[in-house]
Amino acid sequence: MRTSKFNIPGLVTILVLLAGWEVLVRSGAAKFDYLPAPSGILLASGSLIVSGELFSQALHTVESILIGWTVAAAIGIGLGLALGLSPLLRRWSLASFEVLRPLPAIAFLPLALLLFNFSLTTELVLMIYASVWPVFINTMGGVMGVTSRLYDVSRTLRLSRMQTLVKVIVPAAAPAIVTGCRLSMGLTLVMAIVAEMIANPHGLGYAVISELQAMQPQRMFAYVLFIGMLSIALNAGLLWVSRHILRSHRWAHADHA
Amino acid sequence: MELSRGFRRILESVALDVFRGEFLTIVGGSGTGKTSLLRLLGGLTPASAGDIRFRGRPVNGPPEGVVVVFQDYSRALLQWRTVAANVALGLEGRLGTAALKERVERALEMVGLQHCAGDQPWQLSGGMQQRVQIARALALQPDVLMMDEPFGALDAMTKATMQDELLRVHERTGTSFVFITHDIEEAVYLGDRVVVLGGSPGRIHTTVSIGLPRPRDQITTRQSPEFLQHRLDIHAAVRESAGGDAHF
Repeated sequence: MRTSKFNIPGLVTILVLLAGWEVLVRSGAAKFDYLPAPSGILLASGSLIVSGELFSQALHTVESILIGWTVAAAIGIGLGLALGLSPLLRRWSLASFEVLRPLPAIAFLPLALLLFNFSLTTELVLMIYASVWPVFINTMGGVMGVTSRLYDVSRTLRLSRMQTLVKVIVPAAAPAIVTGCRLSMGLTLVMAIVAEMIANPHGLGYAVISELQAMQPQRMFAYVLFIGMLSIALNAGLLWVSRHILRSHRWAHADHA
Repeated sequence: MELSRGFRRILESVALDVFRGEFLTIVGGSGTGKTSLLRLLGGLTPASAGDIRFRGRPVNGPPEGVVVVFQDYSRALLQWRTVAANVALGLEGRLGTAALKERVERALEMVGLQHCAGDQPWQLSGGMQQRVQIARALALQPDVLMMDEPFGALDAMTKATMQDELLRVHERTGTSFVFITHDIEEAVYLGDRVVVLGGSPGRIHTTVSIGLPRPRDQITTRQSPEFLQHRLDIHAAVRESAGGDAHF
């Protein structure tokens, strides 16, 4: 039960911590040469917004996240459906996927760099590789979890294979598929930032590194702040969309004895 | 026909006819292959030997005109669809929008759920959910409705209401029913004939014709001497078929 739209005590804690940080830096108690005060970060943020630098960098990152995430979701759902539906396919290919899956995507960065150079392609390849997994695994699990009774129902109502897939299996697996897509969004963002720092000189990740090299800690922190806000915004947007998609799946949480 | 799973025989030399328009009930204790028999008849499981025919044609897969209704309504319904959309499931793409809507309305009206068309199944009671499943089958205007212990999970009062509703549907539509139950009174109350399945592997022990007049009534029919006699006979048959050790 929420009494207020805002979490006042939580907000107070954040403000107190920020104030403490400000005091530590200003009083010289924290002896770091390049640790800016929150007020400095705020000012730098303002100037980045006004100059339009933030917008152009953020645009690149958001674009590549949306492309990468969409492609990853499409591949993941496709693979998940195929392996979820076909025991034969699982027997032949699941072992290979299980070998690839635990390898951290970041370890492939040098390889991707060699193959695709410093480019958007490298960035996208890394993002997609990392974020396919949650969608794939969740979709496959969701499809395999569809009860045999629903297959009986589809058969006795004489639904075609396509109708069974579209009207029964995919909707039944939808909560798992959506969960996979939400998990993969977080990974897509992380991989986008890392790839921009190292492999594709554009976007927010690159901006953080270039401000670091320019010895502009206020601006660097400002970009970090923006990345955090982008992450929150993407998550909130996706939560809203997934609630909308699953609005008829409320039963999954309802008490239905 | 016969059905085996691995080395285990489930049904053995079962020969059964279902006549047009009749209400056939099948009783038997647990483990006698009632559900397996219904799955065979409904085309959901292929027979290991022998053949099953519907209107002279061999059954391989669910035939058009035969629909199965399952006991576990909450799993058999698409919980994310509304009641009306559940009932429409088997007809989508086969009928135009107007015809589909009318057919769904008529099916819901037949089970008394016209006012619930827009609800989600999980919002309804068990009895109402089972009615939705029955309406979904009726919407296809089947020649044969196969029901696997459809009222097994319902309380006694709901069960009685549902039995009478089913008899009214039977009277109105002329659909043949194959109705599985472990409740002997239910089998006698509903059926034109009662098949007693027993043993392991299961086989048909006896078939009893029920001469009780229709329409039947929960109070007068169940008190009539003929009803009580049938109940007694079938009880004895079930016990005998299980080798004197009936448990159900």
